[in-house]
Amino acid sequence: MFLTSRRTFLKKSFLTSAVLVMSGGKLFGAVSPLQTIELVQQDLFPSTSNVPTTNDINAYAYLVTILHHSRVSDSHKAFIRNGVQWLNEESIKMYKKTYMQLLSQERQNVLKNIAKYRWGENWIDTILTYIFEAMLGDPIYGGNKNQAGWKWLHHKGGNPRPTKALV
Amino acid sequence: MKYDVCIIGSGAGGAPIAYELSNAGFHVVVLEKGNHYREEDFSKDELAVSRRDMFTPLLKEEQHIINERNKDGSITRYEGSEYDWSFWNGSMVGGSSNLMSGFFHRMKPNDFRLKSVYGEIKGANVVDWPISYEDLEPYYAKVEKIIGVSGVVTKHKFAEPRSSLEFPYPALEVNGVTKWFDASCKILGFESIHTPRAILSQGALGRSGCSYSNFCGSYGCATGAKGSASAALLQKCKAKIVPEAFVYKLQSDATKIISAHYYDKDLKSHAIEARIFVVAAQAIESSRLLLNSKNKYFPNGIANNNGQVGKNLIFSAGGVGEGRFHFDSLTKTQQEELMQPGLFLNRSLQDWYEYKDADKSYKGGTIDFLFEHANIISRAKREFYDANGNIMWGTALQKKIHKTLTTSRVLTFEVFNDWLPTDYCNVSVDKKLQDKYGVPVGVINLYGHPHDLKVGSFLAEKAKKVLENMGAKEISASISASPPPNLVAGGCRFANDARNSVLDVNCKAHELDNLYVTDASFMPTGGSVPYTWTIYANSFRVADHIVKKL
Repeated sequence: MFLTSRRTFLKKSFLTSAVLVMSGGKLFGAVSPLQTIELVQQDLFPSTSNVPTTNDINAYAYLVTILHHSRVSDSHKAFIRNGVQWLNEESIKMYKKTYMQLLSQERQNVLKNIAKYRWGENWIDTILTYIFEAMLGDPIYGGNKNQAGWKWLHHKGGNPRPTKALV
Repeated sequence: MKYDVCIIGSGAGGAPIAYELSNAGFHVVVLEKGNHYREEDFSKDELAVSRRDMFTPLLKEEQHIINERNKDGSITRYEGSEYDWSFWNGSMVGGSSNLMSGFFHRMKPNDFRLKSVYGEIKGANVVDWPISYEDLEPYYAKVEKIIGVSGVVTKHKFAEPRSSLEFPYPALEVNGVTKWFDASCKILGFESIHTPRAILSQGALGRSGCSYSNFCGSYGCATGAKGSASAALLQKCKAKIVPEAFVYKLQSDATKIISAHYYDKDLKSHAIEARIFVVAAQAIESSRLLLNSKNKYFPNGIANNNGQVGKNLIFSAGGVGEGRFHFDSLTKTQQEELMQPGLFLNRSLQDWYEYKDADKSYKGGTIDFLFEHANIISRAKREFYDANGNIMWGTALQKKIHKTLTTSRVLTFEVFNDWLPTDYCNVSVDKKLQDKYGVPVGVINLYGHPHDLKVGSFLAEKAKKVLENMGAKEISASISASPPPNLVAGGCRFANDARNSVLDVNCKAHELDNLYVTDASFMPTGGSVPYTWTIYANSFRVADHIVKKL
């Protein structure tokens, strides 16, 4: 019962509550974690011809599934959320703006900077991993529409395909 | 009701007992901790199987403590859940045999007499087995027929004696690259061996043949072609199977086990009484169960009055390596051969099962060659970093992944050599940490003998020569003392001398009249091959003994 309540709390808080961003020990502002991650997904995996886009593969919706997943640990979910806070703190340090307020090139500069930190590299790796899970997992999970990801990489999914998603 | 036989664990160690005893008319019950999946439940869902590990327990609910021994003798303690370090394999009816690749090699005659043939090695507890290859050969042959081993018998320098000329089932189809491999071996003077597989190439034994799905190892087999304990044995007998039954304690008097106690999925406790009990929960968990089953007759755990339960845990030593074939150095025909999905490479080398280096004789091992796993997400993930180890993203990453995955393919190899048993590698139970059932978790005390690395590295160099001759690039190998969790044995040695072993020659506990352990726990040394064929064979051997006893 305790675990169930705790999981429900985490799920709700991640989806609905803003991340508070500090600067110089003072509150700078609040950002939406999911909107920030959606933008990061597009920055890490931009729209390119002949390549499925993050919209094509439902990367955002897939990440929400991961944040609800019974087999993804609470600490890993918390790391994803904490990364949003740290990303914004880096953004404010560099440009005095939150990540979502930046221009495209400025956002790339922030990503390059956080990639120098161990947490930043791990966080980018994590966000990228779920983009590729969405794109290359079985379409039953809602991503990889019309097997767009598999077609891009000339991959043939194994048979039999799943009839039910594990969430 | 009192059963004739109660078996704890339904994998390769337990299922042959269930099959033989129930087919002989005895009442058999099998208690399995995991779920009951059948062929129709298996799919090639990479996200569920490989990314979310659906066939193993959640580490926050069930885990191990891993104590790693450092060079200076100090110990570093890892809680599995904190470090995401799992020693679980297939928690399901049929156990991890559902998920094996089915590379089947017999142990060689000299594997049964390692100490006599190769002598003592300082710091290692090497002993001879109490049985010989000749004792086990009829059961290796039995496994070929009942589990279903396919292949072509290759005559070579270290080929073991066989009671039949050929395998009972024809070989699987192979990829075009196999002939490149054979040609390179011929040039190098190596003997290319057709790898026997526990996979039916065509329908037989009431099971379908292989569908060449391209997703074999790590996945359950949807056709039943793979010789899992479930498809080959449990579905072919009348033993009662109770899934989601975690056995937490064996109750005994001074000379026999009286009952096995298990929790169901609702944590309700049940007890099973039987005339004979067989423990086969995979090596680490079998020792853990015995150690956690303490009573006034066995204050240190069942069958452990001599302190031997959990000792001499071994894994398969060795490691892995690989090389990549790029389109730009291949003809159009070769490119097509390289990218053929589904078909197997099915080749091994055993030229150095014994070898001399600087005039010293060594026990060597086996090298299996296979294509990199078809899992597309993991293949994309390994491209995330550039040559300097920096993480990439954006169009640069997209281009790199597309080029690598569509114009090249990786051939890998796995080295199997002896993990020498030592005083430092064993199983115990933790004094504080408990699992979701409230039972002390198992502690895995890890140590790899330096000799293992020396042999593994020697073999890896030979494998790299083959890849080089074949024209592969980016050739590398990783030989380490990291234990492969799916290749684990020991902890309840069998031997004639009851002072330094747990089991007798028939895998019955020295101290009890009706307790057997038939997973890989019995193995005092592991040979230099994957264990599954030997586990199956030994379990059939013990089944014959139990039938006679009952």
